[in-house]
Amino acid sequence: MSSKADVWQGTLALMVLKTLETLGPLHGYGIARRIEQTSGDLLSVNYGTLYPALLKLEQEGYIDSEWGQSDNNRKAKYYRLTRAGRKQLAKEAQEWGQATAILARFLSPREEES
Amino acid sequence: MSRLRGRFLRLGGLFYKERSDREFAQEMESHLHMHIDDNLRSGMTPEQARRHALIKLGGLTQAQENYRDRRGIPALETFAQDLRFALRMLLKSPGFTFVAVMILALGIGANTAMFSVVQAVLLKPMAYSEPDRIVTLATFWKATAHQSQVSGPDYHDWHDQSDAFESMASYNHWDTSVIAQTNSSATAEYVHVAPVAAEFFNVFGMSPALGREFSAEELKAGSAGASIVTYSFAVRNFGEAGKALGKTLQIAGKSMAIVGVMPLGFRFPDKTDVWITEDALEPGSASRSAHNYKVVGRLRTGVTLEQAQAQMKSIGARIEQKYPDSNSGLSVAVTRLRDQMVGDYRLTLYVMLAAVGVVLLIACANVANMLLAKAVGRAREIAIRAAVGASRVRIVRQLITESAVLALLAGALGAALAFWGSRALVALAPADVPRLAEASIDGRVLLFALGVSLVASLLFGLAPALQVMRTDLNTALKQSVQRTGGGSRADRMRQALVVAEIALSVILVAGAGLLIKSFVALQNVSLGFQTERVLVAQASVPASDLESARRATRFYRDLLPRVRGIPGVLDAGAIGVPPGDTQSDGGYYIDHLPATFDVSAPNAVFSVVAPDTFTTAGIPLRAGRDFNDGDTYDAPFVAVINEALARQAFPNQDPIGHSIFCGLDSMNAMKIVGIVGNVRQYGPAREPSPEIYMPYEQHPQPATDLSILVRTSAQPATLSPAVREKIHELSSEVPIKFTTMETLASQNVAAPRFRTLLLGIFAGLAMGLALVGVYGVMSYVVGQRSNEIGLRMALGASRGDVLRLVLRQTLLLAGLGIVIGLAAAAGITQLLTSMLFGVRATDPMTYAAVVAVLVLAALAASYIPARRAMGVDPMVALRYE
Repeated sequence: MSSKADVWQGTLALMVLKTLETLGPLHGYGIARRIEQTSGDLLSVNYGTLYPALLKLEQEGYIDSEWGQSDNNRKAKYYRLTRAGRKQLAKEAQEWGQATAILARFLSPREEES
Repeated sequence: MSRLRGRFLRLGGLFYKERSDREFAQEMESHLHMHIDDNLRSGMTPEQARRHALIKLGGLTQAQENYRDRRGIPALETFAQDLRFALRMLLKSPGFTFVAVMILALGIGANTAMFSVVQAVLLKPMAYSEPDRIVTLATFWKATAHQSQVSGPDYHDWHDQSDAFESMASYNHWDTSVIAQTNSSATAEYVHVAPVAAEFFNVFGMSPALGREFSAEELKAGSAGASIVTYSFAVRNFGEAGKALGKTLQIAGKSMAIVGVMPLGFRFPDKTDVWITEDALEPGSASRSAHNYKVVGRLRTGVTLEQAQAQMKSIGARIEQKYPDSNSGLSVAVTRLRDQMVGDYRLTLYVMLAAVGVVLLIACANVANMLLAKAVGRAREIAIRAAVGASRVRIVRQLITESAVLALLAGALGAALAFWGSRALVALAPADVPRLAEASIDGRVLLFALGVSLVASLLFGLAPALQVMRTDLNTALKQSVQRTGGGSRADRMRQALVVAEIALSVILVAGAGLLIKSFVALQNVSLGFQTERVLVAQASVPASDLESARRATRFYRDLLPRVRGIPGVLDAGAIGVPPGDTQSDGGYYIDHLPATFDVSAPNAVFSVVAPDTFTTAGIPLRAGRDFNDGDTYDAPFVAVINEALARQAFPNQDPIGHSIFCGLDSMNAMKIVGIVGNVRQYGPAREPSPEIYMPYEQHPQPATDLSILVRTSAQPATLSPAVREKIHELSSEVPIKFTTMETLASQNVAAPRFRTLLLGIFAGLAMGLALVGVYGVMSYVVGQRSNEIGLRMALGASRGDVLRLVLRQTLLLAGLGIVIGLAAAAGITQLLTSMLFGVRATDPMTYAAVVAVLVLAALAASYIPARRAMGVDPMVALRYE
């Protein structure tokens, strides 16, 4: 139906954590929309993956959740970054940066330059 | 850390599942609404907005499923689901569940009870430090490979010349008169007393809890000696263990101070209450042919049993060379204490454990059969589950869970049954099985029950599970309920199970048959004496030397006429050891003594008796005369021999008038004055031995402890108070113990009775279960073939024909099982050879009886199904098609 790419395995958690860091407490729908927007609508978040991922992060103690009111007065479950989550985000972001840098070097046209 | 936390929460997720499901639904709903709101804002119609949002949300169920998987642990959750489903299935057919659980509980319970006994007697380590290092040493007779007690000088050589042992000690033990000097009273009681050598307690790694061990001074021959008592004896007699120290015991007329109290629970050998210094009662014999002692030793650390045995063998060879007169043909046997104690019971117990295992196998086969029958009914259910996506593994796991639940229910019930069964076994078992009293349902036994239950669940759960694995989905779905179930392959499996059940029960029934026949043969053996209505009063008159021993015999001389005067007493006599109890024996010589003694002299049992004892015990006088009051210590020495001795020593001669010598207490010549009938001194299983009876007054020292035999007109036990009174009139220092000849005789066959009864019960159970199996299968077959039967009847078959049809099939199954069972039994019953008496393991009569019993029983079991077959209405059966 859509030609948009699915979120790559393993990166969704990082995106969720980053989103929560940037925007503060947010509900699942908001997280999904934000990820899709940030990607310039290149990504489509599969909800069947998002909610289990949220649950996993919550079980691991990186995020908290509580029920609250949305902007247009709807009851929604809000997720919030915990301190452990902040640490985890820093760690994962760094690792990810490293991984992409390495990969970028492999794929760059200038080989064996040094 | 966080992963652990995740696991923990997931485990928790199993429990608040419903709430969590509701919460997820709410979250999804709010998600949906927010999406719709957004869509509306971007200008869609409500219809479009909703549709779009729903599409985007995608497979809600799928999302929920993923979410659930994440929340809990799928495997555990599946298990919980299986468990719930299994319980529901079992509750849905309570009749089936009840029967299956009962059958299994019976099998598991019997196994658990039997295991509790095996564990106590054979497996549990003895409560001594490093019990595996404790051994017994015995004189080994190379010609006959039998073991006997040890002579004093031999023991001293063993002790001094070996270095394989950390400690070694000779000991002895018997019941004798002990008077504890307390403030209040001083009555003599029978107490198990053990004279022991210096290192005795070291062998067991024990030392007194209070006081001290024997000093070197006390252990010296000729010293006053000393005693050490058990904790319970000290408390019983002195109120408090500590108060026993320094008190005095009167043992066999000698006073001995109590110097130590052993820790609670230590009572070796047998049920000893008092240990005394070895030579306190009588000086050790210097004769190498007087085998009077038992010997225990503790192996040095690192020394194996084989090394110790090798060393003792070479020491034995040296002694043999040095003292050929007394020791030729003798060596030394070293045995682990446990093995020596358990002796013959090891085989009996393991055979019984195997037998009860077979009962469980049959029970499993039965339940497997019931499950197979049920699986046929469930074939469609299972096929549907497979069709909607359940994998085979998943279905098989479901079935195995059901089996496990069934087995665990049965295991719990079985453990409860075992609690009762274990006590029943202890009550039934012979009194001399070592450590039997320790049998109980403890943690290890319960673990065994659990293990057995799980193994059983695999055994009986496997058949239906395999059946499912093979079932073809397509055919199962297409066929009607009536016909499904893997068809002939399932039928064959069920029939094979029944054949196996019958074969297994044939083995047990054959074994039980052989033991029963042996036991009947034992019971029918004429013992040579009367067992009914004879009261036995064991008495012990304290004496330490010839003078006091002669006073003791005068006590009996005064006592016997008084006992005869009690109303209801027909006769009274006295004998050193009643027949059937441990006898003393030795070599004898006719007419003149040889210049040198050797071990080749013929042996006879020695007995001291009072006049009238033969009449009292019902031993017939064949020739000559009985002893009388004239045969006193000062009169010429006389003897009465039994027929076995007359035949052995006087072929074609009249023994009366000849002299006989034996080393009971003196080597005086005794004139043979009479011949009496044989008695089986060692119980019914052994042929009568030659025996020499001697008047008690002429052999006072062996006659201080006598069993008074009283033939009564009423129940013998009713006369014991009167006999006790007569004894106390004469002396308060004589302890008495009452029993009856009947009890003594039955103790002799206690072991055969125990195993016969036990194997009989197990065989009965096995056969009963096998017949339930036959009944089940035949009922099923009749149900399956009712169409065919109806058709046959419509075509003119008579009810008799139908009956024959069913019975023929029963006989086919039973016959096959019996043939296989007989073949197996012929091999396996060889194990029983040592337990058989008067019947061989291949006794054709027994096997014929087994076949007859099983065939008849199988036919009886198929009677109801056959009746049902005959009752098939041809019209109904035909219309059913």
